[in-house]
Amino acid sequence: MKPKRKLFSAVLAGIAAPALLLCAVNLAFISAGFAEEKMQTTAWAIQVEPVQAEEGQLPPDFSMATYENLITQLVKTDKFQQVFRKGDRQAEGVPNLLVLHMTLLKFDRGSQTKRAVTTVAGATKVKVNLKVATRDGNTVVEKDVQGTVRFFGENMKATYDLAKSIAGTLRDTSLPAPSTGVGQ
Amino acid sequence: MPNVRGKPRCCASLLRCHRAALGALSSALLLACLFCASLYAHPAGAPQAPTGTSGVSATQVLGLEGVKPNVKGTLTAQSSGLDFTASGAHGTVPIASIQDIFTGQESRQVGGTAFGIVKMGVPYGGGRVISLFSHEKVDTLTIEYLDANGGLHGVVFTVPLGQAEALKGQLVTLGAHASIPVASQPQTQDSGGKQ
Repeated sequence: MKPKRKLFSAVLAGIAAPALLLCAVNLAFISAGFAEEKMQTTAWAIQVEPVQAEEGQLPPDFSMATYENLITQLVKTDKFQQVFRKGDRQAEGVPNLLVLHMTLLKFDRGSQTKRAVTTVAGATKVKVNLKVATRDGNTVVEKDVQGTVRFFGENMKATYDLAKSIAGTLRDTSLPAPSTGVGQ
Repeated sequence: MPNVRGKPRCCASLLRCHRAALGALSSALLLACLFCASLYAHPAGAPQAPTGTSGVSATQVLGLEGVKPNVKGTLTAQSSGLDFTASGAHGTVPIASIQDIFTGQESRQVGGTAFGIVKMGVPYGGGRVISLFSHEKVDTLTIEYLDANGGLHGVVFTVPLGQAEALKGQLVTLGAHASIPVASQPQTQDSGGKQ
């Protein structure tokens, strides 16, 4: 019995040791990848401007909710060194600053009651043209993004959806490496 | 032989009993939900009397520093600023920092997620019928203000119907800036007709 036990533990150790080593190597690669990504993604700071819309096209509560939700979502992405609000004096001295502009393309207020009763009607939609540019006007990202509430939730949830979509778009976009003098 | 004949009869009567019980249960659930909905819902077009400087029950939808979104509390216009107090949370918007004040209306379903799930469970599409009655109109109060660094902030509150304009009036009296005067506040943001 004893030699059998010894053989069993030797085999177990023989399997476990390489497996552990493999896990350690994988973890090291993954953490190195994250570190590299983090280094790449923290090169820029961003300043958010509120949604530009013609008077009466977008209610102020939706405009402000989009702005506030977007700032929260951009902070969560960890893509930018800092996220500044419109008019923030601290942004003036920051190198490599991107400015995010949104122009309203379409707003459909919808109705939560219609959604609850019919399921298919009453969707709330907010569509904006997203433009991220450097200070000197070089456009880095330009895309139409939409936020929608189709089934459940209050109308205002569309602004959260829009903010999340914009943050996701920016997170997945590879930004150019900031060079000296760019955006100054 | 009587056992063989009696079995189907017994099953049929049991089935009838079960169906009747299920029907009664569904009706009772529907009635209970309708009753709950009527308790929650405020009659549309019946604004509540605006209060003076006393607090107004409000929900901070988002934007107030140090307060989590969708927190219920009390909103008070004071000389120091607009004060929002909830259990375990407090936030103030100084009067001097207010750049603009907007009011509007919103219609929403009452009862939140829990009631929504209950409505989904009501058989024969009863939940949809309940949804027709379980909505309320609320006022929205949107305030744009600047922080110490000049950064623009926006905070959105929902207050009972008719209270937002009164609060705006109080804030303007205290010295807050509003681009749209209180008396001639247009109701273009009113989504009531669409709801």
